[in-house]
Amino acid sequence: MNPIPVVELHDVSKIYPMPAGDVHALNHVDFSIQKGEFVAIMGPSGSGKSTLMNMIGCLDVPTSGEIKINGKSTSEMTDDELTLHRRETIGFIFQKFNLISLLTAYENVEYPLILKYGHKDTTTRTRDLLTMVGLTEGQMQHTPYELSGGQQQRVSIARALANDPTFLLCDEPTGNLDSKMSTQIMEILTDLHAQGRTVVMVTHDPKTAEYAERIVIIKDGEIVNE
Amino acid sequence: MSEENKSIWQKIYSPMILSLAVRNLKLNKFRTILSMIGIVIGVFAICGMGMISAGFTEEMNSMISDTADTLTISPVGEKVIDGTTTTGFSAKDLRDIESAVKSVTKEYEFIPMYSSTKYVYIGKETAMASVSGMDANDLEKIATLIQGTLPRGSTNVVVGETFAEDNDLRIGSRMIMLNSGGQEVTSRVVGILEDTGMMTLGFSTSSAVVGSIEWYTGLVGDNHGLYDKVIVKAYDPTELTPIDDAIEKKMNGKEDKDSDDTVYILNSYEIMEVFDEIMSMSSIFTTIISGISLLVAAVAITNVMLMSVKERTREVGILRSIGTYRSQILQMFLYEAGLIGLIGAVAGTLLALIAAPVMLLGMIGSVEAMLSPAVLVYVPIGILIGLIVCLISGLYPAWKAANLNPVEAMSTD
Repeated sequence: MNPIPVVELHDVSKIYPMPAGDVHALNHVDFSIQKGEFVAIMGPSGSGKSTLMNMIGCLDVPTSGEIKINGKSTSEMTDDELTLHRRETIGFIFQKFNLISLLTAYENVEYPLILKYGHKDTTTRTRDLLTMVGLTEGQMQHTPYELSGGQQQRVSIARALANDPTFLLCDEPTGNLDSKMSTQIMEILTDLHAQGRTVVMVTHDPKTAEYAERIVIIKDGEIVNE
Repeated sequence: MSEENKSIWQKIYSPMILSLAVRNLKLNKFRTILSMIGIVIGVFAICGMGMISAGFTEEMNSMISDTADTLTISPVGEKVIDGTTTTGFSAKDLRDIESAVKSVTKEYEFIPMYSSTKYVYIGKETAMASVSGMDANDLEKIATLIQGTLPRGSTNVVVGETFAEDNDLRIGSRMIMLNSGGQEVTSRVVGILEDTGMMTLGFSTSSAVVGSIEWYTGLVGDNHGLYDKVIVKAYDPTELTPIDDAIEKKMNGKEDKDSDDTVYILNSYEIMEVFDEIMSMSSIFTTIISGISLLVAAVAITNVMLMSVKERTREVGILRSIGTYRSQILQMFLYEAGLIGLIGAVAGTLLALIAAPVMLLGMIGSVEAMLSPAVLVYVPIGILIGLIVCLISGLYPAWKAANLNPVEAMSTD
């Protein structure tokens, strides 16, 4: 008997009602991700992989079927419960880094901790995480605009790890980076996986997907190959 | 603190969210200042005008309230006595008027007097004075002696404080007036009357020279025993209007107050009421004007906040996706609006605190009224109004931001 999967989809469908007819972004999808896995979800644009990612990321709920994240069904959750679930369970890493431009690198990483504990980080956690992803003390006080793309993505990885999430959810993590930077970022993710982190990565780049130990291919809202 | 309590407290106040709001305001300094100017002007107007009108009313009330308890009745109808036409109240007129007063109240003072204006020569100076002749005991009921004694006999007089100061008169000073025959009559100052202020609706002491009836008739003549004026003082000012009506009815024969065929009545209480009405009308008017300027400011702030929400849609999406509650996003924008309101309102109130005394000094020549509670209450009122207007203005934009879909918000550029 397997332990509770980190991500579990049962017969999940997502339908977007459109004037020209309903769009079936996901069609009866069934799959699950176990703790400690490094999974790449691949597919061309329009395949439904972004929809799938939003569901896994608790940013959206399915039209039918059930999604369990860390054993909890999201279908019946209120907005506040979904928000809390995102904060506690998921570490987001985005293609466009999505750092908060008003805050310094340090404060960006500290932000989820403040949301969780209600006060500034009094431990060395923020600094440790930033050091781990390779930022210098000076760079920690810079705003995102003063950092390179690679540095921003490192900060965003540190932020994703701040609340010690159940899994990392990466959306094209190397999409905006050159190949050298991409390699460095993928090496960090591989290291994190080696340390036991569960990593879920959405990508359309086969080279990036190679880092994963399992590849799920999605096409027209259905999983076609595993 | 339990986890549950903490999350409730976090929903109400979060320093991080406040800090984000402050940083955004600083980032858009110019825009923040522009939107603040609107609220500064609005609060300045509402607060400044409020202070000025409260200060003005306060000052006016302190000037005239002392005399708002009298009716001054003057004769209008002409009388022909011994072949000469004249005006004045005969003994019968006085009895009639007093009986009308008595029909309303027992609590009153009835003071008939002689009065006219005369040139007064003091040394080399000449001054215009309102001279009156009345019973010394009556004088005490409508004016206050601050020095000396009441005038009795045919040469003693008392003068008003202002008149004494202007003409350098003190107890024992002498003044000369010409009698009806053109001969010089010397009078001696025996007392000084307290100033009744510049706005007096009853008996004014400002240029008064008052003596006994004996002194007055010796100087001016007795005009066939006709009195020039009657002052009726009521201890309950609200009875003045019924007394006024009763005298009108008795003396002018009908209740129509517009045609004064025998007497003309100056009702100080009614004038006070009219004055109060004018003041409250003008304060309503200024409030409306200020309200409009505040409304304009509110619209401007809503506009600025909507722009801010639109510009920061992506940021809101990011904040939401990494675990920021809707309520915290709402808070963030309300903090922004509230800060604009608070700083703008404090600035507006400070400006009003500078401008109002300047205006009051120009209008009434005194800033004393600024310290009265009726004026100072506009400080918290101004700040509160500014803050509330801004929070209300920010409510819709903040609500809009809080309800953005995180996925859609993140995909905007």
